[in-house]
Amino acid sequence: MSPEFDVIIVGSGPAGVSAAFPLVEAGVKVLMVDGGRQEDVRRPTRSFLEERATDPRQWEWMVGERFHALGMREAISPKLRVPTHAHVFADFAQVNRVDSQGFIALGSLAPGGLSNAWGCGVAQLSPQELAAFPCPSDAMHDSYRTVVERIGVSRSQQDELTDYFGMQGEAQPEIALDKLHTALDQKYRRHGADLLQQGFRLGRFPVAVLSQDRGARKGCNRSGNCLFGCERRSLYSASEDLETLRQFPNFRHARLQVESLRQDAGQGWQVYGEDPQDRQRKTFSARQVHLAAGTVATTRLALSALKHEAPVRLLSCPTAAFILWMPSFLGKPRADAFGYGQLAFVQTLREDVTALGSTFSTVGLPMTEFARHLPLRRRLAVDVLRSLMSSCVVGNMFLPGHLSANQAHLTPDGRLHIRGAYHEDVPALLKQAATSLRRAYARLGAYMLPMSFTAGQPGGDIHYAGTLPMRERPQAGETSAIGELAGLDGLFVVDGASLPNLTEKSHTLTIMANADRIARAALQRLHSA
Amino acid sequence: MKIAITGATGYIGRQLAALALHQGHHPLLLTRTAPAADAGAWLRYDLFDTDALTLPGDVQAVVHLAFNPRVATEADGDAEMVAALRLLDAAAAVGARFVFVSSQTAREDAPTAYGRTKWRIEQLVLQRGGSVVRPGQVYGGAAMGLFGLLVNLVDRLPMLPAFLPAPLIQPVHVDDLALALLRIAQLPDATPEVHLIAQSQALSFTTFLRAIAASHVRKTRFFVPVPTALVRLAVRLLGAERSNRLGLSRLDSLFALPVMDTRGSLALLGLQLRSLESGMQPAAPGDQLAAEAAAMLCYVLNRRPDSDLVERYIAAIGRFREGRALGLPGFALRHPALLALLDDRAFLASERGQELAWRLDAATLLAEATQAGAERFIGIRQPAGMLRYGLGLACAVASEVFWRIARPVSMPLFLRDAINRSFP
Repeated sequence: MSPEFDVIIVGSGPAGVSAAFPLVEAGVKVLMVDGGRQEDVRRPTRSFLEERATDPRQWEWMVGERFHALGMREAISPKLRVPTHAHVFADFAQVNRVDSQGFIALGSLAPGGLSNAWGCGVAQLSPQELAAFPCPSDAMHDSYRTVVERIGVSRSQQDELTDYFGMQGEAQPEIALDKLHTALDQKYRRHGADLLQQGFRLGRFPVAVLSQDRGARKGCNRSGNCLFGCERRSLYSASEDLETLRQFPNFRHARLQVESLRQDAGQGWQVYGEDPQDRQRKTFSARQVHLAAGTVATTRLALSALKHEAPVRLLSCPTAAFILWMPSFLGKPRADAFGYGQLAFVQTLREDVTALGSTFSTVGLPMTEFARHLPLRRRLAVDVLRSLMSSCVVGNMFLPGHLSANQAHLTPDGRLHIRGAYHEDVPALLKQAATSLRRAYARLGAYMLPMSFTAGQPGGDIHYAGTLPMRERPQAGETSAIGELAGLDGLFVVDGASLPNLTEKSHTLTIMANADRIARAALQRLHSA
Repeated sequence: MKIAITGATGYIGRQLAALALHQGHHPLLLTRTAPAADAGAWLRYDLFDTDALTLPGDVQAVVHLAFNPRVATEADGDAEMVAALRLLDAAAAVGARFVFVSSQTAREDAPTAYGRTKWRIEQLVLQRGGSVVRPGQVYGGAAMGLFGLLVNLVDRLPMLPAFLPAPLIQPVHVDDLALALLRIAQLPDATPEVHLIAQSQALSFTTFLRAIAASHVRKTRFFVPVPTALVRLAVRLLGAERSNRLGLSRLDSLFALPVMDTRGSLALLGLQLRSLESGMQPAAPGDQLAAEAAAMLCYVLNRRPDSDLVERYIAAIGRFREGRALGLPGFALRHPALLALLDDRAFLASERGQELAWRLDAATLLAEATQAGAERFIGIRQPAGMLRYGLGLACAVASEVFWRIARPVSMPLFLRDAINRSFP
């Protein structure tokens, strides 16, 4: 019996859809499966501040009808408390049989995967950074370009960080900054030269957000609903691409929680799982399987298929967050603004360590997120936040993944156990970063609030990578230059799991480009067979 | 499960039988006279009968609560021993688990015959593989038993004794105790063990009396300091029998109560005891929760919350907290601004303050997600301006300083007492 499909892609997130396009466009028969969790919360329609002023039922999207935000009180990120994101993260660890210790292991069972809740920051790796990839850097460049043009990116044509982000491909103009960020940008233009000496650079963060209408997706109107759900679909999500893919007759999309994979001699691959809706067990077969379930889930599926129980390294970025106060804006009323990273900063800390971060408007964030952490009585904390936060911006910061020391291993009963840890240098580097940033931003009229610089927990960045790294000569538990698992022909790892390195840069675009590149190579393999 | 209960018409027995019935068990009431028809099945039983006792074959547990509180002599104690033995035999004959409700005063060398007798029976029960329960100061519900006696006293006496040094008691609500008994009767593999059931934090007896005065009598009561040595002296002068009749020896044993470390037992049974403050409230639990919702939301919003918001808070507590009210002190319910006395970072971070911290976060989250919350939290449709916001910041900081001074100052006045009652 010949397999039903040419390729089964496990996962419909950024990696899955990026692998799908070259295959589907070449006429290959593709089945894409995901956990099928659906959004069931109404998104705000008018601007954030308008909704807050007039919507008597705003608690439905801010807290959730089943009190989602309250149930997730202990979760690390505000994103996890947003009701419109509840379906994105729901049930992941349990369904994928993941246990973690000192590590925040997230993933998604929703169509579109984690890109339903991402910060939209994109960056391209430099040729030096790509040197770790066992493939010619041209191949990655072509794929970067393809992906950027498909998903839609807004960025500045030329500023201090253009080279750092290295973005290629046609892009839309940048999204306008709010007043606070405009002031930061202008001051930087005046004092930039001094700050450059201290290793600090400022510029626009390229984002996978439309600034102009494109097809059914509308350009960003700075309504400030990024966190609670953009009704205009300006923010890229892989579910946008999934809609496009559905138009192809040789593409099929199905709900399946994948449990295991098996290679049949001469018959290709069998994928076993359960339909989450009717609880029916199902099996599909194909000549190739592309794993795009997200690094954590993909790692378990691959290690199970390999029966590989030795621990593997899991890369993630150490993070920190902080608040900057701009006194010259004290007393200004709040105004709607783009809710994700507006200005990026790069701070060199050591020869091999650069920090990348961005600053955000506070307008679209619930003040409750801050109230809990202020050393004030709650009623007074609310007084302070009301008066203070309109003149503040919040920042986050990422360090390169080589500073993480997480380990994952497959247990004999088929679960993935992850233990989180940072390299011993991380506390000192974070301290150094806090000092450097405090000084640099003070020059720009923005003062870091005392005690606001907080380190994140391992895994909280959700930048996972590198468990099944691509190598020139792959050993057991590694993948080839085209992401194929050593010892298992036809099983390709197309998501973060196969990245050979993780820098401080947002890695989603690199995952997508790599998936595109691998799929092209896998297509050659199908044709030559 | 069929569960036989002696003393089933008493203060604790009644609640236990009702709870068992409510949870779908079949209580068998072992009492002298027939109880109300809907209370459960009945078997005539007298503590001091001596003929052999036969229990129905399907009885799976026997909870022994019946006891003569006026045990004064060793001979009285012997009669209790005989009664316990008779019941133990009957339980063993049908293979039922045996649970004996003892007392915090049980000790080999207890000052009262009551305490010594309880200790003797405990030894017997443990020897025969049964479980022993030592409850703390039982209170709440109908004013019966020792609790009823205290309510009565507080009601009648305009002046109450404040013993010095203050004896420490560990309260447990009668319904929480009933739940503990039911859980012990159902423990899958019970070993002969003494379970200590009471709030782990000890309170002064004066605090306990004051809580009764506040909730049950609603009158102000004055406390007169009475040295405990004086009571001891009276006991010695009057002799055992007379001081027993006057209730003085019971007082004397109160002074000698050992503090029990109950945490292990509570954890084993998965029990979370209600606070004294909420347990003392005779009002319906729904009213208490509504009052808490209004106070917490008003504290965060700085204005009265509308009824929708109050309902949402109540619904959230229903969803995540089994609908239980926290039992906030009366002053905080009446004047929500005074919640600032409880809203202290160190306290909220402590084990006792965790629940208040959770509810404060719930109130903040729910309050923010309203139109009133948008005005309050982000100043929508409110005047802004550098001066106004600058003053707002200065005022908040000054207020924080004020409350940081006010808290330690109020501690000895009333706050420590209130916190101990509300957050066991």
